[in-house]
Amino acid sequence: MEKFKSIIRDYPFIAFIIAFIILAFVPSVVFTDVYQSHLATLIFVNIVVAAGLNIVKGYCGQVTVGHVGLFAVGSYTAGTLFLYLGLGFWATLPIAIIVTAFFGVAMGIPSFRLEGPYLALATLGGGEAIRLFIENGNFFRSTFGISDIPTPSLMGYNFDSPDRYYFISMTIMIIAVYFSFSILRSGVGRAFMSIREDPICAAAAGINVKKYKILAFILSAMFAGAAGAVYAHMPPGYIHPNNYTVIEMVTFLAMVVLGGLGHIWGGIIGAIVITIVYDLTRPLYKYQLLIFGLTIVLTILFMPKGLGGFIDRYFLEKRFKKKTGTEKTT
Amino acid sequence: MILKTKQLSKSFGGLKAINKVDFELPKNEIRGIIGPNGSGKSTFFNLVSGIYDSDPGSYIEFDGHDITFAPPHEIATYGLSRTFQLLRLYQDMTVIDNVMSGYHTRVPYKFFDAVIGRKKIWDQERAIKEEMMELLSFVGLADYAELNASELSGGQRRLLVLARAIAMKPKLLMLDEPAAGLSPVNVDNLMKIIMQLKEKYGLTLIIIEHILKVVMDTCNSVTVFDHGQKIAEGTPAQVKDDNAVIEAYLGKKMDDEEMRKALAV
Repeated sequence: MEKFKSIIRDYPFIAFIIAFIILAFVPSVVFTDVYQSHLATLIFVNIVVAAGLNIVKGYCGQVTVGHVGLFAVGSYTAGTLFLYLGLGFWATLPIAIIVTAFFGVAMGIPSFRLEGPYLALATLGGGEAIRLFIENGNFFRSTFGISDIPTPSLMGYNFDSPDRYYFISMTIMIIAVYFSFSILRSGVGRAFMSIREDPICAAAAGINVKKYKILAFILSAMFAGAAGAVYAHMPPGYIHPNNYTVIEMVTFLAMVVLGGLGHIWGGIIGAIVITIVYDLTRPLYKYQLLIFGLTIVLTILFMPKGLGGFIDRYFLEKRFKKKTGTEKTT
Repeated sequence: MILKTKQLSKSFGGLKAINKVDFELPKNEIRGIIGPNGSGKSTFFNLVSGIYDSDPGSYIEFDGHDITFAPPHEIATYGLSRTFQLLRLYQDMTVIDNVMSGYHTRVPYKFFDAVIGRKKIWDQERAIKEEMMELLSFVGLADYAELNASELSGGQRRLLVLARAIAMKPKLLMLDEPAAGLSPVNVDNLMKIIMQLKEKYGLTLIIIEHILKVVMDTCNSVTVFDHGQKIAEGTPAQVKDDNAVIEAYLGKKMDDEEMRKALAV
């Protein structure tokens, strides 16, 4: 066991390969109908977005409310590339990631001067502007949406149904989570955190604050772009501006907050819980926003570090007690 | 000379916070900076570490680099580290993360290695963590490594800030009131640790401090600021007897006996 642990520690990707294998058997063993595969794909897409949002909001502390705009950029890059050039998934995915990265730079520039609620307002404007631009542009098929975006195929095998597309979304999710883990566990993640805590002190400690802020925005934009492309190519193959409103943004925020801002698992836990709750409460769609708004408020009041922080705390207190023999209750 | 300023000035509106200060600091010296509140000591630190831009005509040189217009993070990479009067602790990070974030300028790997997550990254990260744990046990915080910085007591926070500033292995360490708010016993302990660290890492130190006993006991030389100007410089004994200093601190000239009484707080 010890040896296994040390191997995982040196080569973390082995853990991800194991996770991949386990997840690959889930549809055939656990799922009873196609809808569950579809839900799983949605969870994976949300995990990718939330993992990215956790980098910029949870770790770097930049309050962005325009992330759904970047998600839309990813989707519509994929959609329009198919519409006008007939490109398939394997071409649109990398292009969508790159294009969204550029939009991430634009979204991040206000963070040089603004912070807190002011930055939130600026990015909210950015996100809404992107949606309105799409909604009112004939180039993007305005309110009709883009339909029949093809599912990817690989070596003659077409991932054309939800239970097949599951494998695509899962693979992208695993890769994205792997990248987010290795970034956040390295010195880069620490630099992000110091900027969140105190930008002036971070600068005095040798961290180039502007560079790292933009880097956080670019990284999270790339995650959102990848998620957007995966979302666009999802089996019905239909995207519409209404899928990228402030409501979606609130759900993304709820995921990161509930999972734990600045916790490495934060976005992932939150995305799983919130997507399932979102699906279960579909009959109560009138009250969904209320539910997620309440979730954010209550989490911040009673569990400021989210589920992830809550679990961490439990183990930490146990270890501290064992080490020093004293109780630490704060 | 490790640090040199010429005609260093900074004004906020009409107020001249720092007015034409020429300052020179040889290597391996412990320099104390004293002066009444609002005399420009902290502003001087902020100018040197690049957090404020100095007024035109100023010149700052650190270790052979002209840092007059350099941003703070660049100055830090030359080996200048500082602490803040208000600590600026990373409250929501663990103690060990606090110290490791001070290591930033020495992190050996490149960003893309970190993204890919190669094995050597994790080896190096572990080595950094070990080194930082050593530093933490040196200042006596090893048991608290995994706690949040916000859970430490006032005295422990002072030690943590010190450890964080040392983590980058600076050539020059600037301490802004390191002993503010500490009890006399803790002050002695802190100064002992600072002196040990100085020996261990071969630091040059600048210390702003209001507790005159600390300054007089530990510093090789003292600079006195008042109203943004340097009014005296010299060994502690010289400065103690300087009339301008006595006037700045006590408002009027006194004879020797009275002054000694007032200073020996």
